[in-house]
Order: sequence, then structure tokens, then C-alpha cells
Amino acid sequence: MTEANETDGARGSTPMLSIRGVTTGYGKIQILHGVDLTVQRGQIAALLGGNGTGKSTLLKALSGLLPVWDGVVEFDGEPIHQLRPDQIVRRGLVQVTQGKDAYPAMTVEENLKLGAFTRSDRKGVADDLERVFTFFPRLKERRNQLSATLSGGEVQMLVIGRGLMARPKMIMLDEPSAALAPKVVLSIFATVNQIRATGVSVLMVEQNVRMALLLAEYAYIIRDGKILIKGEARDLIKDPNVKLSFLGGTVADTSREIVA
Amino acid sequence: MDFDFSSLFAFILFGLTIGVVYGIVALGISLIYSGLDIVHFAHGEIYMFGAFFGLVFSEQVGVPYPLALLSAMICAGVLGIVIERVFYRRLTRAGGGYTVAGMGMIICGFGMSVVLQNIAFLIWGADAEPFHVDLGEPYQFGDISLPKSYALTAVMALFLMAALHFFLVRTKLGLAVRAVAHNKDIAFLMGINVPLMISLIFGLACALAAAAGTLIGPMQSVQVEMGYLMLMKAFAAAVVGGFGSLPGAIVGGLLVGIFENLGAAYISPSHKDIYAFLLLILVLMIKPSGLFGVEARVKA
Ligand SMILES: Nc1ncnc2c1ncn2[C@@H]1O[C@H](COP(=O)(O)OP(=O)(O)OP(=O)(O)O)[C@@H](O)[C@H]1O
Ligand SMILES: [Mg+2]
Repeated sequence: MTEANETDGARGSTPMLSIRGVTTGYGKIQILHGVDLTVQRGQIAALLGGNGTGKSTLLKALSGLLPVWDGVVEFDGEPIHQLRPDQIVRRGLVQVTQGKDAYPAMTVEENLKLGAFTRSDRKGVADDLERVFTFFPRLKERRNQLSATLSGGEVQMLVIGRGLMARPKMIMLDEPSAALAPKVVLSIFATVNQIRATGVSVLMVEQNVRMALLLAEYAYIIRDGKILIKGEARDLIKDPNVKLSFLGGTVADTSREIVA
Repeated sequence: MDFDFSSLFAFILFGLTIGVVYGIVALGISLIYSGLDIVHFAHGEIYMFGAFFGLVFSEQVGVPYPLALLSAMICAGVLGIVIERVFYRRLTRAGGGYTVAGMGMIICGFGMSVVLQNIAFLIWGADAEPFHVDLGEPYQFGDISLPKSYALTAVMALFLMAALHFFLVRTKLGLAVRAVAHNKDIAFLMGINVPLMISLIFGLACALAAAAGTLIGPMQSVQVEMGYLMLMKAFAAAVVGGFGSLPGAIVGGLLVGIFENLGAAYISPSHKDIYAFLLLILVLMIKPSGLFGVEARVKA
């Protein structure tokens, strides 16, 4: 098993996100039992695991929505595990939740503007709005529509776009491809690839293991609140243990195209 | 016998005036409900405090009436924020954030209402205080004379509603308030300081109640027990309009105001206060979620 992600951080001195020994849970029920994980700058890291293994719980803890009981979360070289969620967003760490939680009673454009709530540079916000519209032209057509009227795929585009509107240093995506048609899944993955190209680091939770491993540089596999396997994505994709636990070959190999 | 249309018109006009005041109190109750998930039973007492603040500023400090109104709104807003921070927030936090904290929150609201009433009693006593505002001769519409305080009340209340609407729909902060009202976790992830926004919502709602108190003061009088009846009417208004709906609160207020004035005029004036509830029962029989209510509102 390679340890490359911890030792030779290829692109920067400090990693973008570094967490050590994080434990948390709901009320008295502990879900995470000491999670270590690192995301290098400009990297896509994948967090994989079955249902109920604590992936979303980890993201909530990183965002500050759940208190970190123990352990350290360092973002961009500084500890953030005691900050409020809005302060963490202001530092540049943004989460797109699993629930496709757009505000249904607001228009597409209002949702996107809300994503830029922390910013006061009007010009930059306007530019980023256009950038999101080039990523997702369908959102532009529907900009004045209530988001309650969008399809599932469009809502997913909207919440990713809304996350980008904060101009984050790093974005955490919780199962962006869940419950979407294969074609939409491809376009979402292609967008994640483009997001990385703009220099934003990505932590992506996925059930679509094969696609995630094709796209990501590094991957963590979580089980029962602990990191079970970690390593370079290209190694894990051949790893028989990983294959055993996950790879079902659900998505056609054409998905390789988008990473090429 | 000829039907007297001009007095019908007068009753409707007076009904509308008092109705907009019910509307702004109901607006506050709905705002708190949609923003904090609590049904605020002490809102009538905030209204009463607001009326006293207005009276104090107008009669004892001696500032002009519009300034007294504004000062009363600010004081009640601050009072509300303190109450929410010191008392309610502990309870809502114990219930796992701002989810419906159930019975505890309701009892806390009733308790707060009793406490506030007694504090007001200690400060101002039990007597009804007249609130003199000299605005000059009443307006004349044919046979009807409309005191200027009524006209001012209607105009101010409409202005406050329009200002709130503009704030919620057109400003970035208003957008954030709506976001917090709908889903607090997602609002947090938008970088919104949710606890601060909750204070703002509560303070705004209390300021609206104080405006209502200061506007009603000159028409009736100011008295420590005035909050109870207003709470009942404003609740009726909020439920008639659809609980949690802001446009519904305003329409509900107008309907309650008109309905009770017509009832008092054509049925029996001695039962003036029950017509609001008669209307409530009628509306709930026809549309249980209220006029503007959404069936089974799901909140995250
Ligand atoms: N609000 C909550 N209160 C109590 N327990 C919770 C809560 N949310 C999640 N859990 C529990 O925590 C565990 C981990 O949940 P989590 O949502 O992190 O799983 P996940 O890995 O994201 O799964 P999925 O792939 O299904 O989204 C589960 O056993 C779940 O039942
Ligand atoms: Mg999950």
C-alpha cells in the first residue's frame, strides 16, 4: 500500500486538507472512530464506502455541522475543527451535500447568488455566475425558474454550481452522481474534472466506485467509521480487495473517455 | 328600508385599518414560526411593551410621534433579541437545534408572557394609559369622518409590510433570512452566520409587534393586559392566512379586521371579539391549511 499522499506532497508544502484521528457522532452514538485523511492541493481525492459507513458524517464534521469530538482538522495549514460552519466556508472549504438541497422556493439565480453570500466582489460574482452557466448551460436557460421545478440532474448541477459560487479553495461533493441517468453522471464527472483544472481541490464521496477511481488521484475506503484501505487510485482500481468489496462494473468502460 | 352603503363603507374602512395592524403582528408570528420553528406565545406581550415604549417616548421623552414609533420598534427589537438569546435559545438547542422543540417551547412562551406582563405591571401599573397624539382634524369622506390616527396607522402598516417584502425579496440579507427559514444546515454551508440571522429574524418580528402597539395606542389606550387579545386575533389572522405564510398573515389580518367590524355592526357589538374566531372556524372548515397555506409543509 503506497503512502504517497502523506509523504511526498507533490504540489505544495502543506496539504490542502489534513485530518488526523477525527471522531464524531450523533448524540452519544459514535460513528467515526479516528479517521485520518489527506487531500493534496489541486487533487481529486475519492472517499468510497458502502451505505451507512460514515462518509456523509465525515463531511458534516469537516464542514462544522457536527462537532469534532476528538482529533484535528487542518485546512490550508490552519486548524478549523472548532470553527462555525460559516467561518469554515469563509476559509474556502465548501460542501455540496448529498440531499441535492437546493432552495425550492428560490429561483436558480437566487440559489446561485446565495452560494456567493460570503463575497462582496460584485464583479467577481458576476464572472463566476457566467462561469457556472458555461459549465451548466441548462441552468442559464432556467435561471429565473423556481428550483422546485428542476429535474434531479439539473438540481445536482445547481448545487454544484452554487458551491462553486463561493469561489472555494476546496469543494467536498457528497455523491454527486447518485440517482442520475448515466449520461448526466458522465457530465457531472466531466465537470468535476474541469473544477480540478481550475485549481480547486476536490474531496468526492462516491458509490460509483469505478468512475471515481478513474477520475481521482487518491482514494480512501471507509468502513464502520474507519479508513480501511487507502492508496493511489490507479493502484486501487487493480486491487483485488477493492474489487471484492465494490467493483461491480456497473458503468461501461466508456467512462474512461472523460478522464483521458 | 334603504341599505346604508356609506356606513357599510365606513365599517369596512375601519376594519381594514385595524386589520393591517393585526396583519403586522401576525406577520411577526409567522416570521418567527418559519424562521425559528417556534410558535411564540409571548408575542402579545412584546406588542404591549412596544405600545408602552411608544407611549414613554412620545409623552415622557417628548419626541415626535414617528420618532417614538421608530424608537419603540428598536427597543422592542432589542428586548426580543435578548429574550431569544438568553431564554429560548437554550431550549431550542436542547431540542437539537432549531427543530420543533415541542411542548417545552410552548410552555416557555406562556411563561415568558406571564413574566413580561408582571414586569410591565411593576413598571406602569394596571391602569389604562391614554396615548394622546394630536394629528389634527379627521379626514372627511362624505358622511364618514376618519380620524387621522387611523389613516396614519393604515399607511404606516402598509409601509412596514412593503419594506419587509422589499427586504426579503430584494436584498442579499433578506435572501439569507429566507435561506435560514427554510433549512439551517444548508444556510450554514452557504457561509451564512445562522445564529446571528436568527437573532435578526426574532428582533424584526418583535419590532413589527412594537410598531403595531404604538399604532394602536392612540386609537385605544395602553394597558398591561392588552397583549392577550391581540395575540388571539393575530393568531387567528395567521392561521386564516396559512400559518408561516407571510402574504397569508397580511390577508388574514385584513379579513379578521373587516369581519369583526362587520359582525359588530350588523350582528351584535357586544360580541366583537368572537368574530375573529368565527372566521377562523369557517376558513378551517373550508381549507384546513389556511388560505395561503401549503398542505403538510415539510421542513428540513
Ligand atoms: N442525524 C443522525 N442522527 C443519528 N444517526 C445518524 C444521523 N445521520 C446519520 N446517522 C447514522 O450514522 C451512520 C453513518 O451515516 P452516514 O450518513 O455518514 O452514512 P454514509 O456513509 O454517508 O451512507 P450513504 O452512502 O448511505 O449516504 C449511519 O448508521 C446512520 O444511521
Ligand atoms: Mg451519505
